[in-house]
Amino acid sequence: MKAGWTISAIGHAAVLAWGLVSFSTRPLNATPPESLPVDIVSATDFSQLTKGVKTAPKAEVQKPLVEKVAEPKPSDNPAPKVVEKKPEIVATAEQVPPKPEPEQKKPEPKPPTPAPQAKPEPKQREAFTKEEPKIDPIAEAITKDMKKPDPKPEKKAETPTPPKKPEPVKPQPKFDANRIAALLDKREAQRQSVTGATLSQHPSLGVPTGSAASLTQSEIDALRARIQQCWSPPVGLADARDLIVVVRIRFNQDGSLSQDPSISNLGSHPLFQVAAESALRAVRRCAPYSFMPVAKYDVWKDVEVTFDPRDMFRG
Amino acid sequence: MNDRGLVRSHQGFTRRRVLALGAAGTAGALAMLPWPAAAQLKLDITQGNVQPVPIAIPDFSGGTPADTEVARGITQVITANLKRSGLFAPIDPAAYIEKISNIDAVPRFPDWRAINAQALITGRVTRQPDGRLRVEFRLWDVFAGNQLTGQQYFTTPDNWRRIAHIISDAIYERLTGEKGYFDTRIVFIDETGPKDRRVKRLAIMDQDGANVRYLTRGEDLVLTPRFSPSTQEITYMSYGQGDPKVFLLNIETGQREVVGNFPGMSFSPRFSPTGQQVIMSLQQGSNSNIFVMDLQSKRTTRLTDTAAIDTAPCYAPDGTRICFESDRGGKPQIYIMAANGGAAQRVSFGDGSYSTPVWSPRGDFIAFTKQTPGQFAIGIMKPDGSGERILTSGFHNEGPTFAPNGRVIMFFRDPGQGASLFTIDVTGRNEQKIPTPSFASDPAWSPLLQ
Repeated sequence: MKAGWTISAIGHAAVLAWGLVSFSTRPLNATPPESLPVDIVSATDFSQLTKGVKTAPKAEVQKPLVEKVAEPKPSDNPAPKVVEKKPEIVATAEQVPPKPEPEQKKPEPKPPTPAPQAKPEPKQREAFTKEEPKIDPIAEAITKDMKKPDPKPEKKAETPTPPKKPEPVKPQPKFDANRIAALLDKREAQRQSVTGATLSQHPSLGVPTGSAASLTQSEIDALRARIQQCWSPPVGLADARDLIVVVRIRFNQDGSLSQDPSISNLGSHPLFQVAAESALRAVRRCAPYSFMPVAKYDVWKDVEVTFDPRDMFRG
Repeated sequence: MNDRGLVRSHQGFTRRRVLALGAAGTAGALAMLPWPAAAQLKLDITQGNVQPVPIAIPDFSGGTPADTEVARGITQVITANLKRSGLFAPIDPAAYIEKISNIDAVPRFPDWRAINAQALITGRVTRQPDGRLRVEFRLWDVFAGNQLTGQQYFTTPDNWRRIAHIISDAIYERLTGEKGYFDTRIVFIDETGPKDRRVKRLAIMDQDGANVRYLTRGEDLVLTPRFSPSTQEITYMSYGQGDPKVFLLNIETGQREVVGNFPGMSFSPRFSPTGQQVIMSLQQGSNSNIFVMDLQSKRTTRLTDTAAIDTAPCYAPDGTRICFESDRGGKPQIYIMAANGGAAQRVSFGDGSYSTPVWSPRGDFIAFTKQTPGQFAIGIMKPDGSGERILTSGFHNEGPTFAPNGRVIMFFRDPGQGASLFTIDVTGRNEQKIPTPSFASDPAWSPLLQ
């Protein structure tokens, strides 16, 4: 017996020990699933992605497509605005003189911002590249960009006086209150570009259904509500539940009908004529639709309305 | 970490691009379809405005002063008919801008648009050399600016009301797509005298309450008159001496006969859709059963045989089925069975008891009187018993009857002193009282006159 007990005890202990060792060394690790990037695309974004006629010929960009042709207005002074921007560049140039030695300035920002270690490294690299005789314009641009955020805190904190000096220099064009008028921009308004010399006749890449002017839901609802208000569906339609009339409406910009509305589907039902007449009557009776936004005329100049009385006579 | 982040963003970029490309591709494919004239904006209108349609009905023109009088009468009848239908709103003539003098000329539509008339009716009454009246009318769509229909009728001068009703039907049908019901008559029970000694006479009138004629003199009690499909005969129950019997009356000749010769009382008769049979209840002991009698062969067929009260039978418009009232389940309920008898199927399951079922001429509804404690309601349900809808309820409403187009129901209402006739649309809207010379009950609507 004792031998049996001993063997059994040892055997069990061995099994337990083996189990402890073998299982503990392999914990059940759940393999972390590969995370998937998810981009949330809103309905608006998606619909706008679909806009555009892909097969359309690429339009020449020079002439904007417009709805109204205006008389060309020669501008008095077609000077480009870029000229005016120059002084701004000069002003930055004035700030530049204190920064001719980029290496000196770089150490300065370092002490105030020691925490981000990653940032100093690229700066050092750039510094090294600058030490090279050949000046890489891209690197220069990068360093300029890097510098711009940095000097600002400098101005406030360390050197309040030096930046002030260039400022008094600026008023070189002496300000004369009596000649304020001279400061006015006398060029023609840029807005004249909304009118142009040519009307848009053909769809060009992306333009005709450009999503810039999509009607809002409330604008569509306004149009729908207006037509519903004017539509007296004939009671005879209660019997003909599948009697659907599609009416094509073409509008003028002021909301009036540019053509008589037309029926664009066919019906063999004996009541189709009555139904179609009631739909046309509703459309004609509601005109003009002057509440429609003129700016989005392109969207609603041609509307297809489906008159479907099925829900009305249900139950 | 950095690398993985880069990879992720890269993946995201490709996915987004794939999506964009796919969408653009779909759009491109759609754009390539031969669909150049497609409208850009599409709208669904699923609800309309159930307001009555504004309609202008200037007086018909007449040649002589007498004709002018008739012309004005016709105009008034048409106006009243269309207004009572609840589907049209005649515009006050004071608002009219254009005075129609010649109906052959095209009206000045802007003038009628200005007062928001959707339709315009013009007409003329002239007298023919043979003394008959010639009545013409034209129906114009004001907003489209075209003529929708135009007709002319010839009739004897004293028949001008019927012409007005026929014109009303033509207008109603053209604008609503539904058959009219104005050229019809109502047979009803005219009640006069004090409450305890009512004199009940069978009477007939136009659906607008005009031209009342009495068909019996009032010595016998009469109930439940019903029109034959030919509109020339009426069947009703009458009791003078002895048991109540079902009678048949020819309106033109005044000839009267008992339908069948049964022991005990017979009641609640109704014609079959062909007019060849009369279906009715016969009393048998304390029960009653339904029988049908062929008017030609005088042969009688029993349709039910139960120990219950089966009554108020009514044919479906196609004549294949019968609805009736029975208390075989305890309370009076509506049952349906085949026209030649057989098993009946209960269709009404609501609270209270159901009686006087009547099938719509269109076949889509069964109207009934529903009695709950203290309330009598007029309702409709589909022939399978679904879609029950109460149209009106109150102290006492009873005896529904359908207009020939199935859109309007007439019934009688007795608030306590005496009954009068009302109409109501199957929608439950547009309740109207029908003028009668005195109290009136038990109306039955005729089919359209021939």
